[in-house]
Amino acid sequence: MKKPVLLHDIQVTLFFLAAATILSSVFFVLSHNAANVAIIYVLATVFVARNTSRYVPGIVTAFLSVIFINFVFTYPYLELNFSLDGYPVTFLGMMIIASLTSTLTTHLKEQGRILKEREHMLIEAEKEKMRANLLRAISHDLRTPLTSIIGAAASYLEQDAQLSQADKAKLVELISEDAQWLLHMVENLLSVTRINDQTVGIKTTPEPLEEIVSCALSRFHKRLPEYKINTKIPDELIMIPMDATLIEQVLINLLENAVYHGGSGMPVELYVTVDEHQARFCVRDYGLGLDPQILDSVFDGCTPTPSRSSDSRKGMGIGLSICKTIINAHHGQIFAKNHSEGAEFTFTLPLGEHTYEPETDSSDH
Amino acid sequence: MNQKLTAVIIEDEKNICRFIESVLAAEAYKTVTAANGTEGLSVIASLCPDIILLDLGLPDMDGMEIIKSVRQFTSTPIIVISARSREDEKVAALDCGADDYITKPFGTSELMARIRTALRHSHRTTSADTVYACGGLVIDFERRIISLDGENVHLTQIEYKLVSMLARQAGKVLTYDYLMRQIWGPYNDNNNQILRVNMAHIRRKLEKNPAEPEYIFTEIGVGYRMREE
Repeated sequence: MKKPVLLHDIQVTLFFLAAATILSSVFFVLSHNAANVAIIYVLATVFVARNTSRYVPGIVTAFLSVIFINFVFTYPYLELNFSLDGYPVTFLGMMIIASLTSTLTTHLKEQGRILKEREHMLIEAEKEKMRANLLRAISHDLRTPLTSIIGAAASYLEQDAQLSQADKAKLVELISEDAQWLLHMVENLLSVTRINDQTVGIKTTPEPLEEIVSCALSRFHKRLPEYKINTKIPDELIMIPMDATLIEQVLINLLENAVYHGGSGMPVELYVTVDEHQARFCVRDYGLGLDPQILDSVFDGCTPTPSRSSDSRKGMGIGLSICKTIINAHHGQIFAKNHSEGAEFTFTLPLGEHTYEPETDSSDH
Repeated sequence: MNQKLTAVIIEDEKNICRFIESVLAAEAYKTVTAANGTEGLSVIASLCPDIILLDLGLPDMDGMEIIKSVRQFTSTPIIVISARSREDEKVAALDCGADDYITKPFGTSELMARIRTALRHSHRTTSADTVYACGGLVIDFERRIISLDGENVHLTQIEYKLVSMLARQAGKVLTYDYLMRQIWGPYNDNNNQILRVNMAHIRRKLEKNPAEPEYIFTEIGVGYRMREE
């Protein structure tokens, strides 16, 4: 037994014994009845067993208790006398009760510890599995555009003479498109590190809803200028506590997802509604809709059905799982569903305690 | 212009350096590159360039140090090249005296637009322009009148101050901190909510759709930028 533990055990034992002795003395002085005294010492034994790590302190306490009772609380007072009538039975009884409770509590504590450890290991294993899944998905998703970039660049360099100007332009366009896709992936991954960097959750500041939406739209248009998004947000000024960069990422992921997966040329809709407690962001496309089989797992980050993973370039698995991580970190919710003409992704963000209104400065200049 | 403009590029990534060099060469700039801070500082001191492009992640010294040292002897415009999602870094650079920033990755047109804006601001005094006109928005600084598509717009004092400040430095991002200090004085608390709310009011008066603004753009976590024709 290590020294601090031993010291701790001795302290605990002495403390409870002293407490029991004082309590018993008070009782005894007041009522001159020794019957309750034994109970108080048994209680002390239980507490000692509960607060120490081994069997020994409990048993020692029990032993000392019996001696104490004999010495202090039974006639003749302040003398040890084991020849009292029936005393051996009391002695034996207390020893057994004390040892049993001591063993039981120690056993229980041990079990609790093992259970906790197992739980911890399970969580770790789960985390490890998630990390492995994410890594696998990333490597897969990175390799595809890289292959195409390397291929296109190589053919440009090696077949310079055979290629027409139009062919070359096409190749460069391909390279640019895939590079954009890579960038998108990397930005998503950076978002995750941004969440993991902060040990105590994310840092939120109240941001005007319209600024977030406008930033997301302008970044989206910078990347995909040819697609149209119809936007509708509430007229009044709404401040939502959030990490702006992360929410912007979520909006962009959902919009790009809608454009890539919708598969129709129809404009995507982004609308935001607000009630007392939360803001609700909806991204709705008029395209193919989601496979009902994957509706539940669409945010889980792995490519749902292997047969469809050939189209992995458009596999938004990581993007969506990152959306979910971000929204969860904001204590919001995210879900996907199909409507009659396509798919709809919705996420909610809780509104802050109060929305800020400054003293109105109405003087016209 | 018979004299070529000189640009100094301080960037340790060779490929990025080469890319910027080729873009600038195509626009008839004379470029000098430096791969680290020490070299960069000595090149700036000896060449007196017209513009400086500075990557903040250099091997030998902190980018902020370079901005501070350069600002001690010249007001040559500095454009910081920064990674996305590092708003604090951008804000710090702007507050140290950088003129603007550009986020990696960027395209040719974006880079050239930033450079032109920075050059324009360095060549004129702030009071030179009496009118800002862009799209349907016209601001007459002398008469303090703002009109949108020919109709007068009524702004409060503070709103007018904000808009005119952004318009006088159109194309340049002004940080929350800078705007707060300029309008509410140096003793305001760190809360920029009042600024955000005022901007929201301005947006409702100037923009048809606040979600897709035409004139005043938000740079998330950094500040605001007014459109420049």
